[in-house]
Formats: sequence, C-alpha cells, structure tokens
Amino acid sequence: MAAEEWSGELARHLGDRMLSLIPFARTLGRVKFRPEAALEVFRTVHDDLGFDHLSMVGGIDWVDHREVLYTLWSDRRVAYLFLSADLVGSDPHIETASAVWPGANWHERETWELVGIRFDHHPDLRHLLTPDGYAFNPLLRAFKLHEPEELEVKTRHV
Amino acid sequence: MSASLLSVSTALSSILLHGVGSILPAPLQGWLTNGNAIDALGILIFGVILLAASMLNTILLIWWERKLLGRFMDRRGAMHVGYAGLLQNFADGFKLFRKDTVRPRDADSMGFFVGPTAYLVTSLVIFAILPISTGWNSGNLPLSLLLAITIFSFAPLFIFISAWSSNNKYSLIGGMRSAAQMIAYEVPILLAIVAVVIVSGTFSLDTIVTEQQNYWYWGPLFLAMVVFVAGMLAEMERIPFDLPEAEAELVEGWNTEYGGMMFAYFMLTDYVRVLLGCFLIVLLFLGGWTMPSWVPSAWTSFPLAGIFWFMLKAYAVFTVFVWIRASLPRVRTDQLLRVGWNRMIPLSLVSIVLAAGLVLAKCVPVFGCLPNLGG
Amino acid sequence: MSEMWINMGPQHPMTHGLWNLRVKIDGEQVLDVDPEMGYLHRGIEKISEDRHYNEVITLMDRCCYVAGMSWEHLYVLAAEQALHVEPPERAEYIRVMSDEFQRIGSHVMWYAAFVQDIGLMTPFLYGMRDRDLVLDLFQSYTGARMTYEYMRVGGVRNDLPPGFIGEARKVCDWLIDRFVEYDQLCLNSDIFHKRCDGLGVMNAQACIDHGITGPMLRSAGVRRDLRKDRPYSAYDRLEFDVAHAEAGDVTARYLVRMEEMRQSVRIIRQSLDWLEHHPGPVLAQELPRWLGAPYAPVGREGYLLKRNYPKGLGFSAIEEPHGEALAYVVNEGSEHPYRVKFRSPVFANVSAARQYLVGYRVADIPPIMGSVDVCVGEVDR
Repeated sequence: MAAEEWSGELARHLGDRMLSLIPFARTLGRVKFRPEAALEVFRTVHDDLGFDHLSMVGGIDWVDHREVLYTLWSDRRVAYLFLSADLVGSDPHIETASAVWPGANWHERETWELVGIRFDHHPDLRHLLTPDGYAFNPLLRAFKLHEPEELEVKTRHV
Repeated sequence: MSASLLSVSTALSSILLHGVGSILPAPLQGWLTNGNAIDALGILIFGVILLAASMLNTILLIWWERKLLGRFMDRRGAMHVGYAGLLQNFADGFKLFRKDTVRPRDADSMGFFVGPTAYLVTSLVIFAILPISTGWNSGNLPLSLLLAITIFSFAPLFIFISAWSSNNKYSLIGGMRSAAQMIAYEVPILLAIVAVVIVSGTFSLDTIVTEQQNYWYWGPLFLAMVVFVAGMLAEMERIPFDLPEAEAELVEGWNTEYGGMMFAYFMLTDYVRVLLGCFLIVLLFLGGWTMPSWVPSAWTSFPLAGIFWFMLKAYAVFTVFVWIRASLPRVRTDQLLRVGWNRMIPLSLVSIVLAAGLVLAKCVPVFGCLPNLGG
Repeated sequence: MSEMWINMGPQHPMTHGLWNLRVKIDGEQVLDVDPEMGYLHRGIEKISEDRHYNEVITLMDRCCYVAGMSWEHLYVLAAEQALHVEPPERAEYIRVMSDEFQRIGSHVMWYAAFVQDIGLMTPFLYGMRDRDLVLDLFQSYTGARMTYEYMRVGGVRNDLPPGFIGEARKVCDWLIDRFVEYDQLCLNSDIFHKRCDGLGVMNAQACIDHGITGPMLRSAGVRRDLRKDRPYSAYDRLEFDVAHAEAGDVTARYLVRMEEMRQSVRIIRQSLDWLEHHPGPVLAQELPRWLGAPYAPVGREGYLLKRNYPKGLGFSAIEEPHGEALAYVVNEGSEHPYRVKFRSPVFANVSAARQYLVGYRVADIPPIMGSVDVCVGEVDR
C-alpha cells in the first residue's frame, strides 16, 4: 500500500484524534493520538482498520512527559502499527485498552507498575511483577540503579 | 517338601531353648523347655525370617524396577553402590532413616504417625498368609484368600487417615482420590476372585494352587485375569493409575507432608503391596509354585524349586508392570472411575458367568478336561 | 467439599519455573484461576539502561533460559536498527541456523516436560537426551550450553569451527528419526488421547483477542508465522511450511510443535548448505569503534560514543519457539540504550489462563499448562 493512501485512510478514520503519523521502517508507522480520545481511537483501529491483535503495551519515560506505546498487528494487512500518546502531568493516565483488546490486561498492569502510567477503568490493576505495595516505578529515569534506596516491601498475602 | 518353614523355626527354637536351658538352674530350665515357650519362640523366629525375606525381596524389587526403568529410558539405573547398584536402596533407606521426621504444626500428631505405620504393618501381615511354596506359611488356612484380600483392602483407610491428618490440601485431594480409586477397584477384584473360587471350589490359596497343577487358570479364566491385573494396578497405585500421588498436579498426593522415615514407610509399603499383588496374580492365575508337566522334572525337583519358580513368576509379572509404567501416561480420576464402574464390573460379571459355564461343561476346549470339577 | 483456593506454585512440579497459579477448585473442578508472576523479575529492561549495547546480550540469555539464542537474535535485530548497523549475510544465516537449533532445543525440552506432566516418564529422558545433542552443537561454536552470548550487534561473535557442518548434519539426521519415535510414544497411546484431546480449547478468535501467538495460535487454525509474514534475517531465502492444526486443543499444540521441529530441521539443512559454500566475514566491518569489541570491553575509552552519532529507534519481531517476541530499543545517542522493551509471547499466553483452564479439572491443569510451554524467565524478565 502506498504511504499516501495509508495516511489518507488513517486520517479519514481517525480524523482530528490523530496528531501525526511518523513513518517507521517495515511497519505502518507510529500514530500519535490525543490521549483524551483513546477509547474511540482503539475502537476505530480495532474495528475499522482491522488491527485485531495487540502485541504489547509499553511506556517510555521522556523525563518531561511519558509516552505510552501500543504495538498492534493486523492479520489482514500483515503489518505492525504503533499507536502512541504523550502523557503530561504528574499523574499520567489513559483509558484502558483492555475493553477492546482483552489481551491488554497484563501489559497494562506491567506498564502501570513499571512506568507509572495509570489505566482508567482497568478491570484488575494490581501489581504483576513487583510485590504488592512496592512504591517505586523502576523504569522511570529517576529510578537510579546505583543509588541504594530505602526499600520497604510488604509481602503479599495469599 | 515336607519341612515347612514353621516346623523348621520351631525346631530351631527347640534347639535354642534346650541349649540355653541346659546351662540354667532347674526351674528356669523347666519354663524354657516346655512346649508353649518353644512354640512361642518358634513363631517369633518364623515371623522374623518371613519379615526379613519379604523386606529383602521388596528392596530387590525396587532395585529391579530401577534397573529396568533405566534400560527403558536409555540410561543405566543405579550403578555405584554395590555390584550393579544392588546396595543403592539400602543406602537410600539409611539416608531416610537418619533424617528427621518433620510434622507440620497443624497436623494431627496421632493420625500423622499412626497412618503410615498401620499402612506398612497391615501390608506386611499378608506375607504370613500367602503361601509361596508348599509348607512355606503357617499352614493351609481354609479361607486364606478371603483373609488376604480383606487385609489388603484396609489400605485406603490408612491412606485417608494420613492424608487427612497432614492438614494439607494436596494431601487431602490425594487421599480422597486414593480412597475413591481403591474402593472402585475393590469390587471388580473381588468379582474376579469369585470366578477363580467357582472354578477351584475353595477359598484356600494352597488348594487353588494345587488345582492348577495341570492347567493354569490364566487360560480358561483369561477375562478374570485381565480384570484382576488391571484392578491390582489400580490398587497398587502404579502408572497408569497412580493419580493419588500424581506428582504433576498434586505434589506426590497424600504423602506430600511426609519426610524421613515416615516417607520411607510409604515408599516401602507401596512396593510391599506391589510384591503382594504380583504374588496374588501368580497364585490365582499362574499356577503358583507348580510347573507344567512338560517341564523336565530335574528342573522342578531340586531343593526349594517351588520358591524359585514362584519368585521367577512373580518377578516376571512385575517386569510387565514396569514395562507398563515405562510406556503409559497417567489417566484422569473421572476416567479411571468410569472405567472401574462401567467397564471392569460388567467384565468381571461376565467372567463369573464364563467360570460357571466352565464348571458346568467340565471341559476346557484347549486345556483339557478339569479333573476336580463338579464334585 | 466446599470451594477452596489452592496454590500451584511457586514450588510445584506443574509450574516448570517460579510462578504461582492460584486455582479455585470445587472437588476436582476448576472454577477460577489467577496466575501470579514476578517471582523471577530481575528488571532486565532496567538493567539494560545502564549497560552498553553489546552487554545487554548477556541479559538476553537469561531472559529465556531454554531459548537464549532466539532472544539474542531479537535484541540484536532491534539494536542494529537503532544503531544503523548492517550485519553481513553469513552472520544472518548463522543466526537463522542457531535460531532453528534453539527452536528444536526448546521444543524438545517442552516435549520432555509436557509428557512428564501427563505421567509418561520414558519420553522425558529421551527428550533430554536429544536436547543434549543440540546443546553440544551450541557448545562447539559458542563455548556455552545455555547462556551463549554469541550474537553481536552487527553480526555474530565468531565463525563456525571446522567440521561443524558435518556434525550438525549428523544431528539433524538423528533428530528426524527421533521425532518419529516421539510421535509413536504419544500419538499411538489411547491414554494420551484421553488425556489431551479436547482440553484447553482456544478458538482462533479468542487467541487473537488475548494476544496469544506461536504454536498456541497456529494450533487454532491461524497460519501466522513471522518468519513467513514479516521475514527477518535470511528467512525470506529459505523454504519451509508453516505448521498448523485446527482443533486448538492440547493435542493440536503437540502436533504443531512436532511439525515445527521437522520444519526447523529443513531450514537448518538449507542454511548449512548455504554456509558451506559461502565463506566470509561474520561481523560487520564498519562498526563504530565502541561496538567493535567482539569479545570484551577494550577499555573505558573504547566505549565512548561519537558525539554526533545519529539517534534511532529499533524495532524487531521474531518468531521465538514460544511465539512472537517483540522488542524495541530507543537510541538517544548515548552509549547506553535509552529504553529497551521486550514483549514475551509467554507473557500473553499465560495472561489468558482463565480462558483455557476454567471448566476443566485439576488433573487437566498440568497437560494444559504444559502445552502452553511456560518459560518464566521471559515472562518476568
């Protein structure tokens, strides 16, 4: 598919919810969308554009803001697509994608505990890899490995 | 074969007591050399010999299984302790003996220790009942088959006691599975035995073996034997029916919480029961210590020939069990119970009908006429 | 008996690793499950941020300890894109061959563990025996049996030793015969079918919804394989078929993995043929100096990055033995990656545990989880 045709299709479906499309080698590019419109974007991408497979959700800490990055795959288009949203502010949060892709559940739990991005209306937002009550987000740039921290970790009760 | 083990041990006790008594003063000598004391010591010696022999056999059985399994799996099995690893099991036993027996805090102390012990003891008692050769055991009990099977079926009770008192969910599930499985398979086993009893006309194991002098029951009572062997596999909890201690899902099932000597009890008892099962199969269907008449008499008349052939057959049966273990996966509880209630019981009923027909016809097509039927 | 929760794990024979499956049961019936992960979380993504690009490869081996090669491959592909490095063609073929050997090693390991779960003891040792041959091959050219540290950003560390190709061909011939034996031991057994048919069924739609990939997805009738759909390294020059089955149950997953191993042997044979006739360099010649140390750091100054080195984002997706593994590496122009993120296929496969476990029996959990092929190292990272 030609690049213009693809960006045109994207613009037609997403409208002003899409902020930009950054081309990326061997994928359909990285779509930046407005985080307020997350749920509609997810639904459009899933239902209308055919990206029915959510591969992963990840977060990047850019110090001044955090970016949440969704990697999607479409069996129909046989290609990957990135969705990303810049989250600013002290409490970065975005609507959960697990209503659209049930598989997003654990990826979002992981992103929440490691990068500190909260997912609204997530069905089960618990710690996954770190113990319950762990107060840090290790994948933030502010979390330095070489400075010993005072860690107080509650054990998990079964 | 006139000298039985009991008479040998009574003679031994008589020699011992007379020997000891001769150096003692008169009243003590009198007490020691009277008939009751001699009999009592004789029975004690008999028991010790029996216990030692069966324990040695059990341990040899474990060794044989380890070696065989090793060969099936393209490895060597136990190799290093003793010749070809023969002493490996003793080493393992001593290791377990030295270990501390840890009781979980919330476990019931009475049941936790009584369960395994009773499980072992009740299983060992059966060795005194099963005749291994003419005159091996205490005598020709008229109902020895019934007695043996009755004691054999105590096991689920003790397994359940130990499982319940362990206070562990895995143990409890394992214990329940074990009890359900053993009770389900008790019935077809008993019905299969009924077929044997109909044909032989007796509950005495010695007589059943004597009846098989001319033809072994595995041919005419093939169906009953299949039911009996399958049921025994379930009773022994071996693969494919080892699900009470299914290690994949239940962490060894009802013996999860046991360690040290208590675990050794379980392990030993499992093999004791396997050995007993093999003995029963040999006694009921494979002619016990008798050999067919076409076998040269030189092979059947040397001293202790009966024991030799009996053990050979028992180990051959066990080899088949090891073969099964090496090649079959484990079934699921519901499948096992369904097979037990829906297939085994009808099959064993059919085998009873066949046995009754056999008695009426008085002749077996291939195996010739039965001399003692219909009496 | 009333309902109760039991813990299957973290130390439990079913788990094959350090994780906990909490199961709510009523008698033998499974009412609900809740997998708990994190017992093996080492923070590989965080540690990577403090390491040089080639030093991350060490961590990749620890990511999945039965498929280290595949994870190295995943990382170096992403890092090469982020750092604008091109590996030589011979290195790509060696990578593909290593990947496929790793796939066989991982699947044979899976086979051994899986049959052990349903009570078959003999094939367990057969599997371990044959896996050893694959490990011996790895040892002969990487020097290690589990943690290889063999691939490099820009190629592979060293060329194959002399005589390797003949040895590898012998192993392939041996393995192809053994796969027949494996099938005979399992598929010819009625009890195996009783235990595995119709268990843990996931249809294609449920698989896609929950992000399940790899043999689990292909066993549900979806012919998706990144080696075909989005070829990387040398896969576009090699011939193979995508193994798939329709039923979506445990037996189907078994069949898919078995067929995959046969296809792997096919790929390996082709790449061995190519490697035999195309000698050449195995590490890119034009590497930046700080990347060009194939064995060890060359000193502190050797790592310094040129100030004007271009930034970049690297993304890679490979078909790992367990499924689709994805990674991105963010290069912000320093000597450390700014952010590394990995997508573990098992992570997604386990997260859907509720879908394929509830409604079956406790005794079905080991075969079903065995057919998922859990590798905790890569779930927790």
